[in-house]
Formats: sequence, C-alpha cells, structure tokens
Amino acid sequence: MQPALEHQEEKDSQKEEEEAPPHELTEEEKQQILHSEEFVTFFDHSSRIVERALSEQVDVFFDYSGRDLQDKEGRHLSRLVTYPELLVASYSSNEDAPHEPDGVALVWNMKYKKTTPEYVFHCQSAVMSAAFAQFHPNLVVGGTYSGQIVLWDNRSNKRTPVQRTPLSASAHTHPVYCVNVVGTQNAHNLISISTDGKMCSWSLDMLPHLELVFKQSKSVAVTSMSFPLGDVNNFVVGSEDGSVYTACRHGSKAGISEMFEGHHGPITGLDCHTAAGPVDFSHLFVTSSFDWTVKLWSTKNNKPLYSFEDNSDYVYDVMWSPTHPALFACVDGVGHLDLWNLNNETEVPTASVTVEGNPALNRVRWAHSGREVAVGDSEGQVHIYDVGEQISVPRQDEWTRLRTLSKIQLNEVLQLWALKHIYSFSCSKSQCRGRTSGRLFACVDGVGHLDLWNLNNETEVQKSPRNII
Amino acid sequence: MLQAEVEETIKRIQSQKGVQGIIIVNAEGIPIKSTLDNSSTVQYAGNVHQLLMKARGMVRDIDPQNDLTFLRVRSKKNEIMIAPDKDYFLIVIQNPTE
Repeated sequence: MQPALEHQEEKDSQKEEEEAPPHELTEEEKQQILHSEEFVTFFDHSSRIVERALSEQVDVFFDYSGRDLQDKEGRHLSRLVTYPELLVASYSSNEDAPHEPDGVALVWNMKYKKTTPEYVFHCQSAVMSAAFAQFHPNLVVGGTYSGQIVLWDNRSNKRTPVQRTPLSASAHTHPVYCVNVVGTQNAHNLISISTDGKMCSWSLDMLPHLELVFKQSKSVAVTSMSFPLGDVNNFVVGSEDGSVYTACRHGSKAGISEMFEGHHGPITGLDCHTAAGPVDFSHLFVTSSFDWTVKLWSTKNNKPLYSFEDNSDYVYDVMWSPTHPALFACVDGVGHLDLWNLNNETEVPTASVTVEGNPALNRVRWAHSGREVAVGDSEGQVHIYDVGEQISVPRQDEWTRLRTLSKIQLNEVLQLWALKHIYSFSCSKSQCRGRTSGRLFACVDGVGHLDLWNLNNETEVQKSPRNII
Repeated sequence: MLQAEVEETIKRIQSQKGVQGIIIVNAEGIPIKSTLDNSSTVQYAGNVHQLLMKARGMVRDIDPQNDLTFLRVRSKKNEIMIAPDKDYFLIVIQNPTE
C-alpha cells in the first residue's frame, strides 16, 4: 500500500512544481512570507545563532606552518608574521620517560586551552635555550648542552632538527644558554654564547645551512645575554661570577668592554629595557641573581642604580614588560612571581602571586602584548597568567614619570638607606664618611627633616621638611 | 522579534566584517531574500538545499530521534553557515580570516 501512495504523492508534488513558476516566487509572495509570523520566529532564532558564530574570534583551522598559503606552483609565499600566541619552551629530560631524547622543545598555543603542544621537537642533547627565529616564523632555534645549535622547522614533518651546527672547536664546545636573532629583515644574525664565554654569530641566509660568521672568546661564564632595543652591535651579558659585562660585536674594540659589579652570586637573568616610548630608556637593564636580589642598572653607570630586595630565595629570571616602561616581572625558587612597577613603588612588588605547591620558577616571559606572563617551573609546567589592565597597560605619563625616577635614583638610594638606619645615623661627618660610598649622605632627625650633605664642600645641599614614616 | 527588526538584522549581519552574503530560502529551496546577485543566489540556494537534505537525512538515519540544527561548511576561501528550520533556512557566507 505504501509505495503506491508515495508514488502518487510524488506525482502530485511534481505537478505542483510544474504548475508553480520554476524556482521563483513573485515579489508579492516573498513579501507575504517575510511578513508572516512563522518566518519571524524562524529568523529570530537563526539570526541569533549566526550572529554569535560570526563574532567568534578563534580560527581553529589556522596552519602555523603556512602550507595553506602555498600557491599553485607549490612555492611558499613569504610571510613576515609573528604569532604572539605561540610560546616555545625547552625542558630538561623527563625522569619518567628515560627512553625519550634528552633534548625537548615544545611549542604551545596560548589561544586555546588544549593540553597538548602545537609542535614537539626533539634533539640528542638537552636544550638549554630556545627561541623562535625572528624573521623566520617557521623556525625554532635551540642552544644545547653539547654546544650545538639546532634548528627545527614546523614545515618538516620531523621532530628532529633540520639543521645542526658542527660539534667542533670552531663552534661551541660548552653549553649554550643564550641564543638570540638580532638585526633587520635584510641583515640579521643568530648570536649564541656558551658558558666558556665564546660568542658565535651565525648567518641564517644560507638556510638550511647555518654559516659561522664570527666568533670571539673571553673567559666569562655567560649565563644570560641581552641586546638593548635597536642595537645590533652592543650587548650586555651576565655571568656566573656575579658580574655584568658590556660588549660589542664589531669594531676595533670588539669583545668585552666594561665590567659592572654588584651582585654577590651568579647572575641568572638579564634583560634590557624594551618598552619604546617618548623617552629612551634603552640604557636601562635589570638583572636577577642567586643573591636573592634583582638590580636595576644603566649602561652608563658601573654600579647598580637600585636593588630590589623583597625575595628570600634565588631569583631565577627577570624580564621587562614589552609595553610598560616601568614594569618588570621576576620569579624565584619558592614559587613567587612578582611584578614590580617602578612608578608605583620601589620597595615591594606591585603584584605578586605564588604558584601552588611552591615549585622553583625557572623562567619568566612576557607575551608580546604585555598582557600575559608565562612562567616555567621545575616540575615541567608552564603557567600563563593574565595581567590586569590597571597594572599592565601604561598610561601616557609613565615614561616621563620613570625618567624623573631615574634622575633622582642615586639620591633615593641614600635616603632610603638612611631611613633604614634611622636611629644609628648621626650627623657627624667623620662617622658618616665611612658609611657612604658617594659624596652625598643623608640624615634624618626626629621632627621630620631629611638633610642632604655634600661631604666634599661640607655645606648643606638641601633641606626639605617632610613626613618620612 | 518584530517584523521591522528583520530588515535591520539582515543589514547588521551583512555589515559585519567578512560577511559576503546572506540568503533566506524556503523549504523547497526557493530564495526569498538575498544580498547577493541573482545567479549567485540561485546557485547557493540550490546547492545548499541539496546538502541540507543530505545532512538532515544522515542525522536522522544515524538516530531517528535526532535532527539537524546547524551546518557549517568551511572551505579554503570562506565559510558557509546554514541555520535550518522546518520551513526556511538562513545562509550566511563569510570569510573568517578577514
């Protein structure tokens, strides 16, 4: 019975179709439909969904290797993009997986909360430093324990490096803790420094070959390196002996230039000021050390401008915010991540958080946006923190405020020191001379006076009544 | 939603970044309203109608208690979103990477 009925229905509807204008309605009919209640109900519901879908920002289909941009002939179209959501982290060997290679670098995507990395890279020797190769968005550079520099490519389907530097005396034979690509799109080099003080400069132009361009040695056990903003020749390094050295790559005085002393323990992290703005602070840099302190320096002074002493353990890393000129982050061995805003307060961090379980935090990195901070810990975990707008976003006047701070830095150091020893300080010049390292000293009295004396000409420099405590 | 808001909503969706076109089609696959030219409209409407029937059939075949609620077709160049109903369906074509 049924098939016959269906057949009849088909015939009927076919007739209907033939009778109606083929695939078209009259304007009147359309308007009628558009004004009907059932249509409005349908449209209300479906437009709602469509508007939500249209407002979605994420694109789960994105291919970071760029294969989707290949044109018909199979050539790779050049892309000068960086992906701020990608984060590369290198790890020490996994105790639970002894058969896995020693060297591991993982690329994580901060846009999604998936629990697996975007890319997994391996190599034979432990990776001590890893970075995206600037100007080559597909490449990741790694400095290894053996001294080899390795290059991974996310276009290859392999987890192993596409390029390795030779393991010979002409290159590095000691662990490489610092790798950095410096220069411009047309002229850039990969700089690597090993712990025996050897600096090598490699060319990335002859990819897939890494060509050694230049090397120099100074027996400095380099643990950290940074290039000031805009500089490709001068750079600063921190070493195991607690000293900071300035150096340059080219010129008659190529090599180590000056030594800055100040830390009492190995330097673990060093970062040159990066937030560009109306005032140039590229001479400022911060260092972190095993001596529980973070220090602020200028390349123009061989003594620290300021010492931040809020930590009670080794400080493992420090980094300036890429967008806020007075903000930097540091991490220590008992799970603290501290954000310091010099325009706000120089005695204590502006914001602080402790990672659950208090693991030692080895590395801290700001995201390009300056709105997120990534922290790597001793358990092999990477934690990403959002930094609130009120802390991370600089106001217009942040640069001028910081400049004012820098100028009176020396005075402040003395004043604050005086405040700490408030009751033991006397105004007798002979006593004071032994305590100060500069020509200025400060003294305080019980009625709120802070006086600055200049030892050299023994005259009062400044007198300012103010409430100190 | 009021009838007057329908026109406003269509304009609003059309003006969003990356949206290439909106087509409203009835259950037979005949276009009722479109922001695209006539030939493209007819092409999209016909193809989407066929795809919709297939997709709906598939969902019901796997589970007769189930029904199709939304369809997104992502291609190299764009994305076609289809919101079906028993009497009509809404098609929105957008370029999501714009």
